[in-house]
Amino acid sequence: MSYIIASDLNQALQILRDSKGQARVIAGATDLFLQTLPAELVDLAELYETTQLEESGGLLSIGSAVTHASAARSLLIRSKAAALAEACAMIGSPQVRNIGTIGGNVANAAPAADAAVALVALGAKAVITDIEGQTREEAVEELYAGYNRSVIDSSSEIIGRLVFKPCAAGEGSAFMRFAPRRALALPLVNVAARIRVSGRRIEAVRMVAAPVKPAPTRLFETEALLQEIIPGHEIWAKVEEAAASEVEVRGSILRCSGQYRRHLVGTLAERVLKEAYQRACASDGGET
Amino acid sequence: MKKQAINFELNGEPVEVFTEASGSLLHLLRGQLGLLGTKEGCGAGECGACTVLLDNQPVNACLVPAAKIEGKQVQTIESLSTSNTVHPLQESFVKKGAVQCGFCTPGMVLSAYALLKANPDPTPGEVKEAISGNLCRCSGYKQVEEAVLDAAEKKDQASSED
Ligand SMILES: Cc1cc2nc3c(=O)[nH]c(=O)nc-3n(C[C@H](O)[C@H](O)[C@H](O)COP(=O)(O)OP(=O)(O)OC[C@H]3O[C@@H](n4cnc5c(N)ncnc54)[C@H](O)[C@@H]3O)c2cc1C
Ligand code: FES
Ligand code: FES
Repeated sequence: MSYIIASDLNQALQILRDSKGQARVIAGATDLFLQTLPAELVDLAELYETTQLEESGGLLSIGSAVTHASAARSLLIRSKAAALAEACAMIGSPQVRNIGTIGGNVANAAPAADAAVALVALGAKAVITDIEGQTREEAVEELYAGYNRSVIDSSSEIIGRLVFKPCAAGEGSAFMRFAPRRALALPLVNVAARIRVSGRRIEAVRMVAAPVKPAPTRLFETEALLQEIIPGHEIWAKVEEAAASEVEVRGSILRCSGQYRRHLVGTLAERVLKEAYQRACASDGGET
Repeated sequence: MKKQAINFELNGEPVEVFTEASGSLLHLLRGQLGLLGTKEGCGAGECGACTVLLDNQPVNACLVPAAKIEGKQVQTIESLSTSNTVHPLQESFVKKGAVQCGFCTPGMVLSAYALLKANPDPTPGEVKEAISGNLCRCSGYKQVEEAVLDAAEKKDQASSED
């Protein structure tokens, strides 16, 4: 096995090209190092292209190798993509967050990967470059080929960064999860939402839950309940019911029953939507 | 298996090793360099017994490919004490009864050390958060929390004296 720390994105792509499928990219190693390793690893964790975090041209751009710890600490992410900061702050443990990356969380394609769930609610796209030098953008929710299987072939394609519109005035986002413990436990359910208001009226809403399907899943029926209304008590109660009945969830002997998971989806959906809504209203220049 | 030359800084000293590129930093430290203070518990990122500081940040050495540390600083528990003295943080662990079987202690101490370096006056909540990646089957964590707060207080006093 050989391990190469790439110096820039082009060199990383060149190594992948030369190795004809034998090499694979690695970032924080927190997922890949526990699996069977390929003949060659190309480390992307230190590249200029994958470590930048910036707002430009109306987009937030987060390098794929930005660690969970730096995303959770970043004032830019906390103020303009709170859901992502909250998700990253809950992953694993301080040790895992100090080295695990956002791009790795997406490419690893676990059904309830926390950062990925927040990114889908925020409407993020992955900017992917392949060994032919072609660059494309794909919505994060489109990157799942099956349970724990990504559409991205990490021996010939690299996520350089993740991009989305930052939350502006009148917008808010939030992330919540339920896990057996607050650290070192995978979530039984995680949810994220992004809401835009005008006055107190909801103009746009994206609500995501996992694990429901292989990919973080939009709850379209629940979203529809909230479109173009000023939500009150009755609506919030309906939201909980709608979210719980909209999802087809499975239980597992090791984690929890399907019924419990369904209950959690409902409860967390209501809470996360309320939180995102309150944040959106609070940032809406005080118009009430 | 192919070996690779790796240059890094270990506890303040530059070192060069030839090692299995696919091996972990944990096995490099314990097996090849004889630094047995770093413990192996789960080998899968779940227990924190193998915690070391990589460029001042706590990480699980069992999850770090040895080749990843090229050009970086690695700090292990051995760096905190000499043959005669222990670090004030370690003294606080002893004083507060935070060491029972001791297996988690090197990792706990390093997580706490990194916290106090970044945040000399942590709240109890911040201490809990900082050691949340370190499992202890003996202490119940309360004593560890008290030890870290005690060390922070000592530091406070030391700095107000000079
Ligand atoms: C103890 C422990 C607890 C954890 N807890 C959580 C948790 O609570 N929530 C959670 O969501 N996850 C958790 N994880 C999983 C893991 O830490 C995250 O998924 C992490 O974000 C993976 O990132 P990485 O950089 O370490 O990925 P790596 O292990 O380096 O890579 C993962 C996969 O992605 C590919 N890849 C990486 N970067 C790129 C890229 N830029 N382009 C293309 N392919 C790429 C690799 O080839 C590999 O297949 C946990 C892991 C451990 C060990
Ligand atoms: S041995 Fe590394 S975390 Fe348990
Ligand atoms: S003192 Fe025994 S595991 Fe912590």
